[in-house]
Amino acid sequence: MSEVLAKTEAIVKKGKALGADEVLAKTVFGRHRQTRFSNNQIDIAVAWNNYVTDVALTWNKRLVATQIRNFQNTDKIMEQLFKLAKVSKENPMYGGIAKGTFNYLKPTADKKLQELEDPAEYVFEAIEAAKKEAGVEVNTGGILYAKYEDVYLASSEGPTGQDARSAIELSIRAFSQIDASGHGVECCSSLRDFKPFRAGEKAGKIARLAKNPKQGEEGKFNVIFDPLFFGSMLGTWGTMASAYSVMIQLSVFVKKLGQKVASDMVTLRDNPAEYSVSNRVFDAEGFPIQENVFIDHGVLKTYLHNTSTAKIFKTKTTGNAGLVQPIPWNIEMDSGDISREELFGEVKRGLYLTNTWYTRFQNYATGDFSTIPRDGIFLIENGEIKQSWKDLRLSDNALRLLSQITGMSKERQHVHWWLEAEPPSLSPYVLAKDIQMTRPK
Amino acid sequence: MLQKVKTLDKDLVDYALDYARSKKVEYAETRAHSTQHDELVIKNGVLDAFVSTIDTGFCVRILANGGLGFASTNKWTKEEAKTVVDTAYKFTTIARRKDKITFAEEKGVETKWSVEQKKKIEDIPPEKKIEELMEVDKTFASQEIKIPGRIMACTINLTEKYFVNSEGSAISSFVPNIETFAFITVAENGKPEQAYKQFGRSGGWEAFDEWKMTEAMLHEAKVLQKLVKEGKVVKPGKMDLVCGTEVTGIASHESCGHPIEADRILGREMSQAGRSFIYPGGPFWIGTRIGNDIVTIVDDPTVKNSHGYYEYDDEGIKARRRYLYKNGIINEFLQNRETAAKLDTRSNGSSRANSYAREAIVRMANTFLLPGDWTEEEVIEDVKHGIYMKSFTEWNIDDRRFNQRYVGREAYLIENGELKHPVARPIIETTTKNWWSSVDAISKEVGFDAATCGKGDPMQGIPVYAGGPVIRLKEVYVK
Repeated sequence: MSEVLAKTEAIVKKGKALGADEVLAKTVFGRHRQTRFSNNQIDIAVAWNNYVTDVALTWNKRLVATQIRNFQNTDKIMEQLFKLAKVSKENPMYGGIAKGTFNYLKPTADKKLQELEDPAEYVFEAIEAAKKEAGVEVNTGGILYAKYEDVYLASSEGPTGQDARSAIELSIRAFSQIDASGHGVECCSSLRDFKPFRAGEKAGKIARLAKNPKQGEEGKFNVIFDPLFFGSMLGTWGTMASAYSVMIQLSVFVKKLGQKVASDMVTLRDNPAEYSVSNRVFDAEGFPIQENVFIDHGVLKTYLHNTSTAKIFKTKTTGNAGLVQPIPWNIEMDSGDISREELFGEVKRGLYLTNTWYTRFQNYATGDFSTIPRDGIFLIENGEIKQSWKDLRLSDNALRLLSQITGMSKERQHVHWWLEAEPPSLSPYVLAKDIQMTRPK
Repeated sequence: MLQKVKTLDKDLVDYALDYARSKKVEYAETRAHSTQHDELVIKNGVLDAFVSTIDTGFCVRILANGGLGFASTNKWTKEEAKTVVDTAYKFTTIARRKDKITFAEEKGVETKWSVEQKKKIEDIPPEKKIEELMEVDKTFASQEIKIPGRIMACTINLTEKYFVNSEGSAISSFVPNIETFAFITVAENGKPEQAYKQFGRSGGWEAFDEWKMTEAMLHEAKVLQKLVKEGKVVKPGKMDLVCGTEVTGIASHESCGHPIEADRILGREMSQAGRSFIYPGGPFWIGTRIGNDIVTIVDDPTVKNSHGYYEYDDEGIKARRRYLYKNGIINEFLQNRETAAKLDTRSNGSSRANSYAREAIVRMANTFLLPGDWTEEEVIEDVKHGIYMKSFTEWNIDDRRFNQRYVGREAYLIENGELKHPVARPIIETTTKNWWSSVDAISKEVGFDAATCGKGDPMQGIPVYAGGPVIRLKEVYVK
């Protein structure tokens, strides 16, 4: 057993010795590197190292949690935490944490990301790719982020294990004019698959096509969503599938289990698989991660659970435990059976939306929302990009959007950027009919 | 609240700075934060979890070789301090910039500052915190209103900071801050409506006396109930729109505070939070008209006990009120030392970081429209046909901060100067210039709402106030 895992287990033992019912400890030694750039130059290179143990403790259905840094003052902190549990209030709904011992998949983290110190070349590669597409005058900005985490988990209820998680992400936005831009991302769990030029190329291409945008028109349009845009929506639906969101009505899926919530073509799953930037082998309770289909051919099949919410909903955990609430890891949308080009060919007159931000709801329970497309907004006629537009807003309903989907491409992209496409997702190009667009007056 | 075993180790922070200065640096700083943090979550009437942590760490930022390097850690050893400094210094060479980064000149400052507490948070036992919060929840949920879902989260941060730099600054500070977020769903005949409310201030536990959360949440629940029962949609068209202080505040924040951030103007946030309709060589710059001449919007970190209060920013610059739009004219950008150097000016103390593990960047503090000389009644009584949008639900704005939309939460029809029935989700979708150019009446009383402003990558949520008086927009399109 590693020294760190032994120390993590010692925290659990300390909690039990104090009289706790359950104790869960997860130590993460994280190494994070980020390079930020704008105006085609690097602004700052950043490193942050974390040495943190998350601890959750229960006593008579009172859940309290803390963090211990670098195993400093462990005994004192655990004593204070147990005292806090004793004066806390009972949560009658609390249903425990995962029990038993489990076999986990072997972690596949890329050790090269642990050693990555100067990733500037990847930034320059992406900038050059954007310039090739949009010309040397293109103005780019973005971030390159790499992480490597060693994770050690111990639980009084049985689970114990080690994980290693790695990711590298490049996000680049290219401006060919002040109001003409494109955005590309490249997200991988290992350096092996990481091709930063792809993100630069895509950002540059969209920026070139977006030049001289015209004021967009209001109305209902058939819309092709780029994976970057739709990844943002997949993240929204994934978060709404969390049982926690359902319990507090931050979801359109309340009381809809077993019901049709989307077009027949739509199958969504949560899967923190090996390729994903949120790859992992167990959740925060030490339950093995699994693939969960939560919308199957349009029908809502399950919510995403930890052990406690699963008990409330009389089902089993889906391996989505965060420390307090279930969270989605990586939302996948099943691909279609036609190419991207064929999907565009299905649009006689419509829009191609390449990215969005600032998605906000009037009402999470009904699903009324708006979001602001950014970067290239294109009018499509007879399957071809006809014109660049600007200043439009998608103002519709999240359930209605799911039901209006009529096609997906074979091609899919793994996307994640900032908080706008969070959690990460794997999305095809998606065609939806009669989507409401509005503009300022 | 967990008690600190030992206080922030200033000697180690000084050691890290001295070690950084031993290298060929143009500038170096070390910033340490130690935060005692409590978070209580009450979900549907039960305490879901009580999280209590202490997070203590420090960062080093170095300007050398024309580039900036930053590194942080939460491991408090000399060996780690050296590693962090070495990393930050090495990272200054990564940029290989053509134009070198410089900082606007400043003199070193040695000072201490803190926010006083009338009721010290450290003296409030955890059971008292739980009890007060649960009492709020219980009282507003026990009325004759069907509330199928609700959540309330209270976050308490006691943050001690120590900042030193190579120019001789040494600044110690202590800020206690409390924030509570509540989200409720009210249903009538199966139709749900939702509202959220955020309360926040710096200071002590007296915040709970001042907020009157029970009354505020009960008001929200009643508004939603009435909206479901009596709300009517508005007939779209041009009309006068009276905006409550919450709506004035969000518009001030989104369409004045954000576009006036100099890093955004210079493109440094272009791939995340975006750019601005103000940019070098563009149609809008300092001196350009953006609104009616009665519009003056300021950002002021020095509002006592505000959510965004500070006396010195995270680059050690003294805070002051900034006049962003003055008499309808773009007047002053929010600057840190890096942007100020690029724009040949001085920092106005707008650099903030939410953690030792994050670079300080240009941020707002408390952004609000200055008051006029109308009473709220006078603002309304002149309206023949219009809407009073007292608060908002959905909102968003494009990443140039020009095309924005606000949807009313509590809103009423105005006819011949009188408030009539509730209006269901009226929408204004307009431009920044049109919004501020349409203001023709401003009330005397300024109201503030707490908010958490998002910016930076990784995201740095930072406490702010957004506020202003009641205002009237003349003849705008509402749907």
